[in-house]
Amino acid sequence: MSDTPLLELENISKFYGNIIALQGVTTEVRAGQVTCVLGDNGAGKSTFIKILAGVHEHSEGTFKLEGQEVNFKNPREALNAGIAAVYQDLAMVPLMSVWRNFFLGSEPTKGVWPLEWIDKAEAKRIAKEEMAKMGIDIRDTEQPVGTLSGGERQSVAIARAVYFGAKVLILDEPTSALGVKQSGVVLRYVVEAARRGLGVIFITHNPNHAYPVGDRFVILNRGQSMGNFAKEDISQNELTSLMAGGAELEALQHEIAQAQNS
Amino acid sequence: MSDTTAGASAAPNADERLAYRGVFQRALVRPEIGAAIGAVAVWVFFWAVSVKFGQASGAQSILDQAAAPLGIMAVAVALLMIGGEFDLSSGAATGALGILTILLVRDVAGEAAGAGFSLWVALPISLLAALGLGWWNGFLVNRTSLPSFIVTLGSFFVLKGAKLGFSKLIVDQIQVGKLDDLAIYAEENGVSDKGYGLLDKVFAGEWIRNEHVWDSRDWVYSIGTLAGLTLVVLAVYEFHFRRKDVMNPTGLIGVVVGIALGLAGVWQLHNTDGAGANTIGAALIGAGMLVGFIGWGVWRYAPHTQSDTTAGRPDGVTAPLIAGVICFVAAVLVGTWMDAQNGEDLTEAFDLGGGTSLAIAIVVALVAMIWSAGTGGASAGNVIGSAISAAAAAALGDARARVISTGIVAILATLGFLNLSTEQGARAIIFIALTGAAFVSLITAATRGRRHSDRAGSALLLFTSVALVVMAFFVQSESSAPKFRAEAFSFMLAFAAIMAIWAIANMRFEVRRFTDTSADTTARNMLLSAVLLIVVGMIARLGWVTTEEAEVGGSIVKYSVRILWFLGFTAVVSWVLARTRFGSWTFAVGGNKEAARQVGVPAARTKTQLFMVVSAAAWLVGVLLAFRLNTIQASTGDGEEFEYIIAAVVGGTALTGGYGSTIGASIGALIMAMAVQGIPSARWNSDWRFVFVGGILLLAVVANNYIRTKAESAR
Repeated sequence: MSDTPLLELENISKFYGNIIALQGVTTEVRAGQVTCVLGDNGAGKSTFIKILAGVHEHSEGTFKLEGQEVNFKNPREALNAGIAAVYQDLAMVPLMSVWRNFFLGSEPTKGVWPLEWIDKAEAKRIAKEEMAKMGIDIRDTEQPVGTLSGGERQSVAIARAVYFGAKVLILDEPTSALGVKQSGVVLRYVVEAARRGLGVIFITHNPNHAYPVGDRFVILNRGQSMGNFAKEDISQNELTSLMAGGAELEALQHEIAQAQNS
Repeated sequence: MSDTTAGASAAPNADERLAYRGVFQRALVRPEIGAAIGAVAVWVFFWAVSVKFGQASGAQSILDQAAAPLGIMAVAVALLMIGGEFDLSSGAATGALGILTILLVRDVAGEAAGAGFSLWVALPISLLAALGLGWWNGFLVNRTSLPSFIVTLGSFFVLKGAKLGFSKLIVDQIQVGKLDDLAIYAEENGVSDKGYGLLDKVFAGEWIRNEHVWDSRDWVYSIGTLAGLTLVVLAVYEFHFRRKDVMNPTGLIGVVVGIALGLAGVWQLHNTDGAGANTIGAALIGAGMLVGFIGWGVWRYAPHTQSDTTAGRPDGVTAPLIAGVICFVAAVLVGTWMDAQNGEDLTEAFDLGGGTSLAIAIVVALVAMIWSAGTGGASAGNVIGSAISAAAAAALGDARARVISTGIVAILATLGFLNLSTEQGARAIIFIALTGAAFVSLITAATRGRRHSDRAGSALLLFTSVALVVMAFFVQSESSAPKFRAEAFSFMLAFAAIMAIWAIANMRFEVRRFTDTSADTTARNMLLSAVLLIVVGMIARLGWVTTEEAEVGGSIVKYSVRILWFLGFTAVVSWVLARTRFGSWTFAVGGNKEAARQVGVPAARTKTQLFMVVSAAAWLVGVLLAFRLNTIQASTGDGEEFEYIIAAVVGGTALTGGYGSTIGASIGALIMAMAVQGIPSARWNSDWRFVFVGGILLLAVVANNYIRTKAESAR
């Protein structure tokens, strides 16, 4: 189990016609570990997620799931293989209750067709239980998702993905729209999900969020992979400067220092 | 049980950002609540000003009007609107599918036109055609991604044209009929009636009620509704108060004594006559209610820990209290004064011409506008007229809007009032407006008092209840109409008793301020049983004709079976919406279609199925119309789609999708039907009916919006 990584990516590239969206990305995701994908806007993070989640197929390279080479045609295939993506816009219906959102599309039912109804008590119980496992006490699962805080909404989405059998969880910028405290809460869910044996891919442009929770870091810049590091091989400062393209950031720091001195 | 009570005592560790919402706040965010309150208000209004309301024939015509074509379609259209789409072809479709059904069976009256199928074949064929129409609408909307408003507008014109074109082409008339030719032809020629006899009973059957005679049926009705109403109060208790860790069985003695007293009172009322005996009966019932309800509370709920006797006077109570008392006294004075006038008509009594009434209306409007401009929204909320304008201002967010809308309301109200045909109507309106204003002000005072302390709130509520009792006796002594003397009187007394008991209970028992799922479930089950009991009682009263009564004869009321179709359809659709995957998906595709698709909801298929539900409902309505009328006009249903949408919106369904209620839509249909029936029965000029309908729509939307923002901000 621990020998074969859940996901193994080698030199993954994606071309749209003559445009190189992503080139030469190599990394691995192991169960119980968090792999962070860092990059500024336009670095190719979205393309990377879309390949993992089966929205797009990769153009070059090998994509292995539990040692088997795979090539997903659509999101459903990826989902069935256990790769679940939690997108920024969360795929939630704000006016619907927590439990209905939790089970949306996969509601547990009782009875036989055409007299089939949702097993409401069971659905509410499971939703509450799964949220509790993430460390959130939702007192009333009937409350609309729209009334939850941003962090809690993330946790509903994560708990949902975990419950429906995800082995690999892709989190697309879960902290980008949140305040400092809420981000901390979400980071705790990220660690919690990994602790429960999932392989987590955490996509962010904030190295301060990535470094404390990550076990492995992939840095993207303008579609190019800038490297694939285990935590012990890299410090937070190196990470930050690599992400912004190293030299550019140093130049910027220099400029700012000058501006402050004058 | 034990773990909930343990959780109860450990309640304070709740999420600090999530304030607990009490039962009334939770009720207010339900989409159908505005419509329910509106329905009661409209009913009381017409009940007071017209003779027909409150009689069996009135109830029959309202239900019949509400049921088909309006109610069934409103429910289906509300479902579609929750799914985020509109169907403007739904009105024309009702007529089209009725015409199709008749055309498919026609050939019996000696004409060759039409296919001449048996009804058993024609009905499935037209149903298939309906489903095809819905599928086509859904397909076009999904495929083109255009707004359904435009796509179905196209379908509407196609249907409208096809109805007229085919009617002229096939039967050379702008109407198609007659369905009952089937029966006549069958009898004349001794052949099969092609299923007409049986299906006519299914779609257009009627059952007859004669003049009312007290019978065993009425015991079922009385006990069912009384037990149901009691359960409603107990359910509110269960939602509102904190349950005890250990129940106190001595309270049950109170319950038993209360029931015994109540039954004795009912027996006394039923078996004796005369004011004295009736007063004893009413007093027995009141005492029974008090002992019973308080006993129930002693058994179940934790006693009030009196820690909130805050010093000082509660804020904002004095103004509404004084306003309430003034309105109350004014209502009494106006009531006596109006009774002294003997003129048939207000404009006649005071010899007012059209010009004078207009002048008076303008003066009243100016005064109202100046007053409204001078006072803030909050203090203006005390009197009904300005409550409307305050709601409008809250919705429009503009002080000018408030002043202008006050002016418009005042002109219309004054003109309408001065031109009322009867003195009794005028009197009833003034009286109801003033009593209503008094009541609203006093309740406002009580609500504000409760924010200060439970004790202050309860005391003010008790005061309101006493005021209501005084008013009830005034109504009884001053009014000549029996419905005021008996029905309004007893209703006001009962309401006052419940309010008083509520006030006392709030002083004695502790209010729950945290979520208790087990108590909520119990309360919900109690509400459900209450509805069942009341429905059984109503069915017993309306549907069960005793032999004794059939012999008596008297004024006959015919109930149509379409009422049952309406109730059944509403129940099934509401269940589907609340309890099935399809219902969940409907909310999801209306609320956030992309999100729904991402988690695997077949969004396009769900929308298509919703369109098919609407057209299937249009088929049902078309068939009901065909059997009822036998002949269907080519223009039947054209333009009615907007009435369905209005009923749905009045019932709390959002135009933006993702929010709403099918039960609300059926109540919305009832309100519209009451307007249609009430205006002529109040002997008003029914040319102005649509002004009233439009007014109701605007008021409903504004009020729904107002209540929702208020309720959302309160939590």
